Amino acid sequence: MTLFTKENCGKCDKIKKAFDLEKLGINIEVIKPNDPDVLAHLAWHELVDLVEKGALPILVLDDSTHINYELPVRRYLERHIASMNQ
Amino acid sequence: MTSLQETKLGPVGFQLDDATDIAVFVRSSDDDLKGWNRQRIVDALLRETMIDKDTADLVGQEVETFIRKTKIKFVSAPLIRELVNAKLIELGLEKERRMHTRLGMPVHDVKQLIMQQNKENANIPHGPEATNLTLAENIKKEFAFLNVFNQEVGDAHMAGDIHLHDLGFIDRPYCSGQSLEYIKKFGLSLPNALSLAKPARHAEVLLAHMVKFAAALQSNFAGAIGWDAVNLFFAPYLVELDDRQVKQLAQMLVFEFSQQAVARGGQAIFSDINLYWEVPDHFVDVNAIGPGGEYVENEDPATREEKPYLTYGDFEKQAQRFIWAIFQTYLEGDGAGRPFFFPKPLVHITEKFFKTPGHEEFLKLICQVASEKGNTYFVFDRGNTAKISECCRLSFKLDESDLEDAKTPWRMRYSAIQNVTINLPRLAYRAAGDDTKLMALLREQIELAVEAHLSKRAFIEQLLAAGANGPLSLLCMDHDGQGYLRMQRGSYLIGMVGLNEMIQYHIGAQLHESDEAIRFGLKIIANMKIVADKYRQQHGMHFVLEQTPAESTAYRFAKLDLEQFSEQAKDVIKGDLETNEIYYTNSTLFNIGAEMNPVERIKLEGLFHPLIEAGAITHIWLGEAQPSAESLANFVTKTFRWTKNDQVAFSPEFTSCRKCYRTARGLLDECPYCGSTDLEGITRITGYFTKLSSWNKGKLGELKDRYRNQAVFAKPASTNPAETATG
Amino acid sequence: MTSQFDIDIKGFLESSFLDWPGQIATVIFLAGCNFRCPFCHNHGLVLNPNEYPVLNWDDIKARLKKFTGWIDGVVVSGGEPTISKGLPDLIRDIKNCGFKVKLDTNGSRPSVLADLMENGLLDHVAMDIKAPLNEVAYARAAGQPGFLDKVKESLALLQSSGLPFTLRTTVVPGIHTEKDILLMARQLGGVPNWQLQYFNPENALDCSLRKLEPMNRDLFNLLDEKAHQIMEQSA
Ligand code: SF4
Ligand SMILES: [Zn+2]
Repeated sequence: MTLFTKENCGKCDKIKKAFDLEKLGINIEVIKPNDPDVLAHLAWHELVDLVEKGALPILVLDDSTHINYELPVRRYLERHIASMNQ
Repeated sequence: MTSLQETKLGPVGFQLDDATDIAVFVRSSDDDLKGWNRQRIVDALLRETMIDKDTADLVGQEVETFIRKTKIKFVSAPLIRELVNAKLIELGLEKERRMHTRLGMPVHDVKQLIMQQNKENANIPHGPEATNLTLAENIKKEFAFLNVFNQEVGDAHMAGDIHLHDLGFIDRPYCSGQSLEYIKKFGLSLPNALSLAKPARHAEVLLAHMVKFAAALQSNFAGAIGWDAVNLFFAPYLVELDDRQVKQLAQMLVFEFSQQAVARGGQAIFSDINLYWEVPDHFVDVNAIGPGGEYVENEDPATREEKPYLTYGDFEKQAQRFIWAIFQTYLEGDGAGRPFFFPKPLVHITEKFFKTPGHEEFLKLICQVASEKGNTYFVFDRGNTAKISECCRLSFKLDESDLEDAKTPWRMRYSAIQNVTINLPRLAYRAAGDDTKLMALLREQIELAVEAHLSKRAFIEQLLAAGANGPLSLLCMDHDGQGYLRMQRGSYLIGMVGLNEMIQYHIGAQLHESDEAIRFGLKIIANMKIVADKYRQQHGMHFVLEQTPAESTAYRFAKLDLEQFSEQAKDVIKGDLETNEIYYTNSTLFNIGAEMNPVERIKLEGLFHPLIEAGAITHIWLGEAQPSAESLANFVTKTFRWTKNDQVAFSPEFTSCRKCYRTARGLLDECPYCGSTDLEGITRITGYFTKLSSWNKGKLGELKDRYRNQAVFAKPASTNPAETATG
Repeated sequence: MTSQFDIDIKGFLESSFLDWPGQIATVIFLAGCNFRCPFCHNHGLVLNPNEYPVLNWDDIKARLKKFTGWIDGVVVSGGEPTISKGLPDLIRDIKNCGFKVKLDTNGSRPSVLADLMENGLLDHVAMDIKAPLNEVAYARAAGQPGFLDKVKESLALLQSSGLPFTLRTTVVPGIHTEKDILLMARQLGGVPNWQLQYFNPENALDCSLRKLEPMNRDLFNLLDEKAHQIMEQSA
């Protein structure tokens, strides 16, 4: 899984604080305005317009679908952890 | 000087005495014969170059001596000029020579041109008016190199590193999108026109104004003339019309634009009409302009107090009546049942479209047109974006200031000033597999494109500065506190050709062959976008990426690369090397011949579209097949919902019979109605329909390769069935 | 055979907009046929199916799954699919993947058809009507005698099933006269969905047909109109 975040984004930071993303095996990709690699990666997952809209953070799942905004991402990760602990 | 015998003007062929003095007639470009006068050479040199008087005298004398020695009796002004230029070179005065150079064409070329079809742009028929255009374009092109662009940019174009589009139209901006509201409100008062027309009172008059204005604009822009929300803006004029009259108006609209081949250079106006089934949100509450250029009064006593005028939201039904009639007209086709070539109808598909009653039947109608005639362009405006589209792919997303403009829609006019395309495959040849080098070269080319745009802007601004008395007086006309051309809002397009071949050479797989190839392709385009954005900030100019239509550029680049990089190019160039029907794949499109199903093509090509701000498209080639309108509607709906694709068009092929004037489906060898073999094939070239006989070699090569979604029978040659199954 | 079913898939069109109106459909072509229609276009599949390599159903299935949602259904065509033993298994598997199924058939095996319909495995059927419904004409057009009753039986099955279906007839000069077509219109009277198809002589099964002049388009259109008028009257 990949989490697209922005620096100095309150919503992103909350997610980063609430979960040990590294332990969950989630790559973090920080969106910077002038980074072509991140832009290309976003385009590959069809996320360019979401980022333009500011619908962050975005969690891209292994099947290439995605979840965005803080709350849905939080809920997904909680469920994910619960299912791992079972 | 005094030894020269000043001869009076005489008719051409006047027999001269066997004089010892120079008694030469000079055939000047003023269509008359002038006696020899060395001073003319000196004057010209002093006027046109920075040369000093002594050197100029010296050159004049030497040229005179030379002519004297040759005992020539007639010399033409161009010949004298070239003799002078030769002298300047001898003296090492290269800069002066450039300034003193003369533009023109060899007799042989002019003859060819007059006798043979120009295949650079299939929209230009062959005829006296067309050759005038080409001749003028040739001279302006040369002028552009000498006078508008710096040498580096000029050389890059000549070499085929980049392509500067429409050089022959150097003194005009590229294309223009506008609103009918402008002529509805201000009438038609064109500079230099003999009469001034007040705002139209009737629908047909408004249409006449629209067509005339489009023709006037065509003379001031190089490319497309687009119109926003045409059916909506006509709506206030339709209230009194019955259905038959609305249909007639629709027919007039389509026929007028499709038959405008009598305009500039015999070239049809490259016209686009943007259409909406719903009333776009940004116009719902805007006061509607009606007959006479006045706001339409609200006659409902219950609401008129708080809402004195009707708004466009009140005209949905009228707008729908008109758009329906317009597509009925497209469905019927022209007198021979052929598709109309122009105007191109661009239907905007939005969230609101799917919420507007009647959209199912309307979608079916426009899909039927797409299937039977191919005209429909489906433009996808997802989320809350609004767009105005024109040209082959060019569209402008409306930003906040534009939406502010929407309240006064006559202000909504947009222009791209110039288009520069980058030859991507060549960069891969030069980088020889080195990523860093490839990106560096890419940046270099974008810088060149920016350089070219700066020059073009400076030149156009110079022309505009002359205002109402200058060459671009139409674009300076000012009815609403700003010139018609809003230069500060202009876009500068940076296009690309051959991403597919670039990737193929660089990493060894074409875009359709691996995910890695696509991801690398995205990286290239993302890089282009970011570099363009940086220049945008630096210069305060709107540099945007565009998918170049590349009607001739894809062929030109391929041809030049085959000469200059033949070792590398021959492996990736598409088409037939033997017949020279070669091309590069347009812009960021995937291999035209790849056996990709339309779903996959629309999804994967669509990945690139969000990075290409000025618009992108996917073409689905239908060939002979005539799909079900309902199936297309299904596909269009899913494309809107599930992809990022910007725009799609479906392209059927037709054969039109020159003997019985009937039209049949597919590209045939024999007319199925009368058996005649005197036929004309018709299909979409890049952004519009046209006759095959006018296509250049590159495009003919592409036509053969187009994958038309035929069934795949595992070819007996292929031993691995999975290959076909996953191809 | 390269899958668990007794079936040979020889051709494949991943997404078609014209084989199933309204749907985005994948078309698969199965080998072999019990007819020998002289005008057959897929005669490679009919006469020499072994010349074509077999496509693996599991590969196709994997491909289709990538387009779930996009692709609505699968058209099973041929050749004649009902002669393949594994057809019901194949169709069940397609349905299990969530796709609808349309069957293209010549109507020669009503029992297979009935079976598939009873088990709810079909969403649409397209059936060929090769000629007027009499023994001689039918045998000539199908290139095989003795199938008329079966065809009639299939037709009756379709008409009583409530399932959406389409009937198709390819009009072939030299095999059908105008009279034949009009007779068929009367015989089929009232069937809502009968389509006449234009015959392209290139590449017909019977080489003598390949030399035929294609039918004049105007005549064809006229015939189509007449036939459908008759149909409406007898409806
Ligand atoms: S039924 Fe006739 S047309 Fe159809 S596949 Fe068999 S032989 Fe060909
Ligand atoms: Zn004809």
